[in-house]
Amino acid sequence: MSADVELSDVSVTFGSFYAAKNVNVKVNGGEFFSFLGPSGCGKTTLLRAISGFQEPSEGKVLIDNKDMSGIGPNKRPTALIFQNLALFPLMSVSENIAFSLEVRGVSKEERKKRADELLELIALEGQGEKKVHQLSGGQKQRVAIARALAVEPKVLLLDEPLSALDLKLRQRMRTELREIQKRVNITFIYITHDQGEALTMSDRIAVMNEGELEQIGKCDEVYNNPLTPFVATFVGENNPLYGKVTGIEGDKAQIETADGQYLAMMNDSKKLNIGDESIAFVRPESLFIPRDGDSFDNKIDVNIESFEFEGNLKNFYARLQSGAKIKFSVPNAIDTSSISSGSSIALGFDSSKSVILPKASLAID
Amino acid sequence: MMGIYIFIFFAYLFGPLIIMSITAFNSAEFPSITPWECFSFRWFNEGKIAYDGQHLAGLLSDWRLHDGIISSLIIGAGVVTLSVPIGMAAAIVLTQVRSQLRDIYYSISIMPVLFPGVIIGISTVVLWDRIAGLGGEGFISDIGRNGIFLTILAQTCFISTYCFLIFVARLQRFDQTQEEAALDLGASQTQVFFKILVPYLSPAIASAAVIAFLFSFENYNTTVFSILSDQTLTTVIASKVRLGISPALSALALTIIALTIIAAVTYEVLRRRAEKRYAESQEKFVKEKAADNRINKKYKAGFKIPKGITAILLIVVFATYGATQIVKNDLYGQSCIDAADKEKKSKFLEQLQTLESNELTDEELSGGSLGGNQDYGDIFGDPSLFQDFGGFD
Repeated sequence: MSADVELSDVSVTFGSFYAAKNVNVKVNGGEFFSFLGPSGCGKTTLLRAISGFQEPSEGKVLIDNKDMSGIGPNKRPTALIFQNLALFPLMSVSENIAFSLEVRGVSKEERKKRADELLELIALEGQGEKKVHQLSGGQKQRVAIARALAVEPKVLLLDEPLSALDLKLRQRMRTELREIQKRVNITFIYITHDQGEALTMSDRIAVMNEGELEQIGKCDEVYNNPLTPFVATFVGENNPLYGKVTGIEGDKAQIETADGQYLAMMNDSKKLNIGDESIAFVRPESLFIPRDGDSFDNKIDVNIESFEFEGNLKNFYARLQSGAKIKFSVPNAIDTSSISSGSSIALGFDSSKSVILPKASLAID
Repeated sequence: MMGIYIFIFFAYLFGPLIIMSITAFNSAEFPSITPWECFSFRWFNEGKIAYDGQHLAGLLSDWRLHDGIISSLIIGAGVVTLSVPIGMAAAIVLTQVRSQLRDIYYSISIMPVLFPGVIIGISTVVLWDRIAGLGGEGFISDIGRNGIFLTILAQTCFISTYCFLIFVARLQRFDQTQEEAALDLGASQTQVFFKILVPYLSPAIASAAVIAFLFSFENYNTTVFSILSDQTLTTVIASKVRLGISPALSALALTIIALTIIAAVTYEVLRRRAEKRYAESQEKFVKEKAADNRINKKYKAGFKIPKGITAILLIVVFATYGATQIVKNDLYGQSCIDAADKEKKSKFLEQLQTLESNELTDEELSGGSLGGNQDYGDIFGDPSLFQDFGGFD
């Protein structure tokens, strides 16, 4: 029942502005695929191109290997869940869910049967007669999903549907969405600016910036092996260390910064040469306070500035000698009472946990 | 201080209406409170055949008024069926226009409200007269000179703009993603219109229809031109007023006021009832959801005196005073009317007699003893005044 979705060289322009530029993606049938990017990066435009509300200026959208150009949103095998859900306030929950069947001329009994089935799927049995405004935020969310699933679409498109919910509910809905996807087994294409959402739910992620795709890959791949400085800093947190390549050993490169030399992993596709301007990235959780017997190949001297307690983690903000800021996190279980603001300590990190990339702009600048 | 101000304001607003309403019950031929003749419903019924044989029609027997009301109702219905769809279509178009054209389109759309109604009326007549002139003797010629048809068109010109404004206001709050959601779920554009947009707009449709009807019903300045040889309620009233006002008009005014109040009160009661039902359902829902019964506590509603009671009391006091005065002085019922009529008739006869006794004999007219004075007789009326007049020398 699921379908492949392929974007082939898709560009969408508004006047001279490129909302999306030469996007090539192939989403496999039955996959949970996320487009991740900051607001204004063109991810919603792509979603509208897939659902048919926006014809691409160039390129093609293929669903199930069929060219979708000229086919309206009501004729495509896709269903879209809107950011504001767009439930019909004048209809009851059941009427909302069965709307797509009603417009297709399905009989009343059958509509009711299908609505009841879907209410069961979203754990809202017996609440079909309620009005939309009587539901809580999470329930509305689930009704929107049920409404979209009523026609048995081959592809479900979700446009940041969780952004209006509070944290706890958002976390629960993540799991629920994932479960629903497994149960109905159709292609989910999910749009979000929240990397946590994308990482926890998706099979694969496409990271977008300013209308262009930066990287496509599995969650851990994107997180551990970013291809661009943008991805490195947008997905999770990363400390950039600016410098020049001074040596290459196999798949690792040596970088010379104002504060010393570090060794980091190179990407296969982003080969560096000696003398190239580059950035080494190390994640806050990869930096650790070395104890006797720890083996590591990079050492970094920092001056602690401030401290923040997050619960499971303790975050430290520090400065290098050059003045560059750096953040590191240690699990709450580790005793850090000896570290106080103003003290200087040495941190270690392993070269296999660090990535070196050609210099380019970061996500947070 | 505030109370006094409000009282004066309402007295200013409703005073004339109240006075007018009272005059409807006075049996006198002219609308008046003092002198009070008799309390009677004659101006609501048959009216009166005056002692001099003139028929002063009451509300029930005035066929011109009835014809006027019927054509007003026909025109009102026609205007509603035309202006509501036109206004709705224009407002929907406005939501689709995105560029700078939007402002221009909006300005053009509301322009008819700014035109004097007289001009709309005259121009409609002029245009259709030309069109009727083209068509020879057929249907076009008939319809182009049909006052009711022309009035419907002329009124629709500007009333559809009021409808347009109502729809624009409602559409501004419309969430357009609902249309997209419906489309995405497989609805055609027609289905989106009838299943999403029309239900959303239904309150606006209702209020636009009411407003359109009321505007049409009370319109005079456009109608007076476009109605041609027909009559609507407003033109009938206007022509009556020109001939002198009658208490039958007061009776009509009171009837209209009463109908309006009944309609408004009914609407308000129904609305409050629906609101209450909604609030109750909400409350029930909240209580169902609330785990702790803090919300479930029952609050005793204290008895409050409604503020409108002072106004009602005031009216009751005045009405009682008026009624006792009428009863005490026996100013009601058939006997009173008969007495009043008898008195008026005798006065009238008296006057007639005076006139008759003053009538000149042929001899007097021809100059009487003075002779040869016929021309002056007409001018000076009573030649006897000039009996001792020595002439002009």
